[in-house]
Amino acid sequence: MNKITSLRNIGIGVAALLATLPLLYAQRSQSSGRGAPAPWSEPAHGPRSEPTHDVTQHSPVMVDRSAHGSIRHVDAHIVEHLVEVHRDFDVHQQVLIHHDRDVDVNRPRFWHGFVFGARRHGLREGCLHLFVNGVPFFYDDGIYYQQAGDDYAAVYPPVGATIPVLPDGAIEILAGNMIYYYAGGGFYVQQGGGFVIAPTPLGVVVPELPPGNVMALLNGRVVYQFNGIYYQPVFVNGVTQYQTFLP
Amino acid sequence: MNSTDRMIKHPVRWLRPAFVAGMLLGAVSAPAAEVKPALDPQADEQLRRMSAYLAQAPFFSVSAEIWQDVRLGSGQQVQAGRAIDLQVRRPDRFHAEMHSTRHNRALFFDGKSITLLNRAKNFYGSIPAPATLDEALDLACERFGVTLPLEDIIVSDPYQSAMRKVVSGIHLGPVVVLGVPCDHLAFSMGTVDWQVWIEQGGRPVPRKIVITYKDEEGTPEYTALFSRWDFQTKLPDQLFTFAPPSGTTQISVAEIKSRIETHKSGGTQP
Repeated sequence: MNKITSLRNIGIGVAALLATLPLLYAQRSQSSGRGAPAPWSEPAHGPRSEPTHDVTQHSPVMVDRSAHGSIRHVDAHIVEHLVEVHRDFDVHQQVLIHHDRDVDVNRPRFWHGFVFGARRHGLREGCLHLFVNGVPFFYDDGIYYQQAGDDYAAVYPPVGATIPVLPDGAIEILAGNMIYYYAGGGFYVQQGGGFVIAPTPLGVVVPELPPGNVMALLNGRVVYQFNGIYYQPVFVNGVTQYQTFLP
Repeated sequence: MNSTDRMIKHPVRWLRPAFVAGMLLGAVSAPAAEVKPALDPQADEQLRRMSAYLAQAPFFSVSAEIWQDVRLGSGQQVQAGRAIDLQVRRPDRFHAEMHSTRHNRALFFDGKSITLLNRAKNFYGSIPAPATLDEALDLACERFGVTLPLEDIIVSDPYQSAMRKVVSGIHLGPVVVLGVPCDHLAFSMGTVDWQVWIEQGGRPVPRKIVITYKDEEGTPEYTALFSRWDFQTKLPDQLFTFAPPSGTTQISVAEIKSRIETHKSGGTQP
């Protein structure tokens, strides 16, 4: 009888172990950064909550271990590659995460040439004709124009403009639970089948300044201005990036 | 009597199997540190020799060419490169210059602070640091997300530092790296493999290091090719002391401490 009881107890123990193993595995997967996806590795589904302004509190740790080449800190602050080439995307589009890398793979995009007010006599073939709150705009791969006489003048990205495909080379930016796609100074969020320009979130860090920014001194500090928003340089993970703010 | 009643009235009966389960769990979740790595004695000896040589050097300079795999948003994998010039003076000084076509950065550690300098954009930022190289390297990484280039050869005990998570290591034999006869060693940490090519003869310095991230898409690699090892030229204090070049502006260095704590509280950070 005692033997039977002992066997039963061991059986219950093994059953308890088996029941616990998945939890143990899940915990390990989580601690190693693999298995269940981290909140910030979710694909973009548009806005989910209001963006936070405290970047140090809520932004993902952006060290890319394959960039730093360290054995000692091989597991330090692993971040999964955030590049999510959405199924909806044109396969020829590239959405680049901001790299913590000394690399030379970021090639200039069309929108890097944005200068506010710059005029063109004609627009490239294939540009879109948009209306934002009833105001007409023309759009060409990250740059917006308005008719100016016989010309077209480059203007700041209008909030509310909706485009079907992200500008080439849009950079994924995470702010709290929000995912933005940053290109040409515009912060796009996915909405329905397209991407709409949101108001510039404050407190987010971007890897590069918007094209056409203007450098200024504010209380002795170097800052950059673009469309009424200020960008201050800050070292994030050892790399110079820029945080949006309003004085 | 239902099962809950039985558990309450006869706690020993259900505690016993729980104890068994706990013991089994304990065995399953035993720390990896207790597992002795499967080490080829020759690989172990060669790595120890290299480590001792670097650790005993009071100062040295070295240059390295870095190549790393980068995955573009399109899925295409490319290689990107940069060059690093490094000077180390034990126990509390280092200076690194990193150059690539787009970037031009420097790092200074003078035993009191670590300073980052972006030469291309004329920004610098400093963080207070502990007095030793090892502590400074750890602080820079863990609090500021700054992993110093080639830190595995900078630390006070490269062998101990590199072998902490190694599960196996083998000696693959002699190989010539850029004209220099070397011994080729390969180590595995499970999800990450690394190799080192150590110069043969009386100066066992690394000539090449490759780290392979097997758990990442495309198994990207980081390659460092070393050259111009110099253990003779003395390195003066001024080399490690940062003096802001004219035209530079100081900016803040973002701390990631709060983010680590957030992770810890969620049980996601080791």
